[in-house]
Amino acid sequence: MRAVILDGLVLGLAFGLLGVGMTLVYGLGGVLNLAYGQIVVLAAIVASLQMEDGRATLLAALLGIGAAAGVAVLLDLTLMRPVYRQHGEERTLLGLLLTLGAAFVIGGLLAWRYPTGTLYINILGDPISIIGVPMARGSIWASVIALAVAAVLLLFFGMTTFGRGVRSVIQDETGARLVGINPSFVRTVIFALSGALAGIVAITQGMSGPLGVNAGFELTTFALIVTVVGGLGSVAGAFLAGVLLGVVNSMSAHYVGQYYTTIILLGAAALTILIRPRGLLGR
Amino acid sequence: MERTSSLRRLGLAFLPIVATAAILVVLPPIWFGDSPYTTSLAVQALVFAAYGIGFNLIFGSTNQLFLCVGALAGIGGYGAGILANETSLPMVAGVVVGTVAAAIVGGLLSWIAVRRSLGVIFTGIVTLVFSLAFANLLLGQRDLTGSETGLVVTGVPAKLGDDQVGGYYLFAGLLVVFLVVFRLLQLSHLGWAFRALRDDEVAAELAGVNVSRYRIYAATIGSAMIGLTGALLAYSAGFISPATYSFDRVDVRVLVLVAFGGLGTLLGPVLGATVFAFLDERLTESLELREVLYGVFVIAIFLFFRRGVVNAVVDLWKRLGGRRREPAVQTSGD
Repeated sequence: MRAVILDGLVLGLAFGLLGVGMTLVYGLGGVLNLAYGQIVVLAAIVASLQMEDGRATLLAALLGIGAAAGVAVLLDLTLMRPVYRQHGEERTLLGLLLTLGAAFVIGGLLAWRYPTGTLYINILGDPISIIGVPMARGSIWASVIALAVAAVLLLFFGMTTFGRGVRSVIQDETGARLVGINPSFVRTVIFALSGALAGIVAITQGMSGPLGVNAGFELTTFALIVTVVGGLGSVAGAFLAGVLLGVVNSMSAHYVGQYYTTIILLGAAALTILIRPRGLLGR
Repeated sequence: MERTSSLRRLGLAFLPIVATAAILVVLPPIWFGDSPYTTSLAVQALVFAAYGIGFNLIFGSTNQLFLCVGALAGIGGYGAGILANETSLPMVAGVVVGTVAAAIVGGLLSWIAVRRSLGVIFTGIVTLVFSLAFANLLLGQRDLTGSETGLVVTGVPAKLGDDQVGGYYLFAGLLVVFLVVFRLLQLSHLGWAFRALRDDEVAAELAGVNVSRYRIYAATIGSAMIGLTGALLAYSAGFISPATYSFDRVDVRVLVLVAFGGLGTLLGPVLGATVFAFLDERLTESLELREVLYGVFVIAIFLFFRRGVVNAVVDLWKRLGGRRREPAVQTSGD
């Protein structure tokens, strides 16, 4: 039982990290980036190629993260421009459709060029015992990184001027413009941040188990579930929802079975939309 | 005088369908009757055109983004297939059960969306979530569905199972029926309500259109069409698997071809399905590259060509014909 809950927490932190990059972009401009999972995979492939070339793991990871951030910025500067000229529901719909297209382009190209591409970062060492449960070192590293990212993000949005500027754009685009904040620049920075977060997800996922080239769609789905449950646009909500869903996931995988676990998670997302469309911590 | 002109209008309204039916009938003998491969491509085009008309009725007419075309077709297909395998009921019973089940589920999804007044986006997310849950259900219920290995559908009439051309005429007939239903709906008071609520929902509500009710009608009829197509596909293919009805194989394609042909138009789905059935076979052998191309199509269509082929042609026609009055049935969406 303790092992199941601990597993759930580890998974939940991974979910939270996965959701936070998507939720930020949505909160900022109303765009649900359906290419998010494919950007994660891109980072994984870049990092694994660098490792095959013999580069140090840390350097390879950083290059992967950089590549993901780069692609995200590229998306923002090209596809997202016409999207942001629209408003309200039109904007969200166009963003949804264009990023779906981008997901197919990125995912298809990667699967075509690197059909067996997989990132696996093997962290050596014996399992560490936490409250009597042996945990793999890779999973512990992944959780520590996720917690650190959560802390940094919360501090960034709570304390720094730029972070507050971002929040002002989330609240009111026109108002932010009036006080001298350039929403378009803020959005580009947040897209880059979201891409970097996707890269970090790739690294932490690769630490807990192999991450294959075809994982993109599934990653997007989980990111979407976490985002919806946590509240679109809320950093803390994404991590809270991630942890909740992670525990639910490992409990139900343990007691009910894997296929139904996915259905339960999807059901949680659907119920959230129906009962509390703002999500746990959404405004 | 008044009477003849309205009769003429009615004739004009059904002219495109008669023309389509005529083309569909003569195609096999003059072109591909002896090539099983081309015939199977044509069958696929017809199936996707039929899905497209259902989706068009739901999204194109009443602005509900149903990202569960594959799942609804799967309800029809698996409903029919499981019934055929577990009982000795005839094919008709399976088809009816599959169709009704899909109609109920689609209507229910729409009812939920309307009751909770979900916008386009949340309707999209809820139906997407439903698609994924359905796919997992298919995988999980191994005893009934055969999971990834798929399901061999028994009780298929020999004429349909062994003969590609038989399948072709079955789906050609289905398509013509769907086109007639779509046009009849457009001509009826439902079509008037659909146009009103697509143009301006609030104004439509104020003018006395019961927006919620018409949305649920459209979703139920459209889902029945999709379910019926899926059920007939199960019988004509004789074998179904989760891939037959998966999101990336069905929904993405339907979205692309309907948008390409023209959302809300009568012939848009038919045109789109025809173009894409033959296009992607020609372009590349690689499944992955085909996925890339679909991505490019999605982006290009929604960026530069949102009104679709049919609307573009109608615009051109009007511009060339200048003084020509619009026919009574205005099919363009927005």
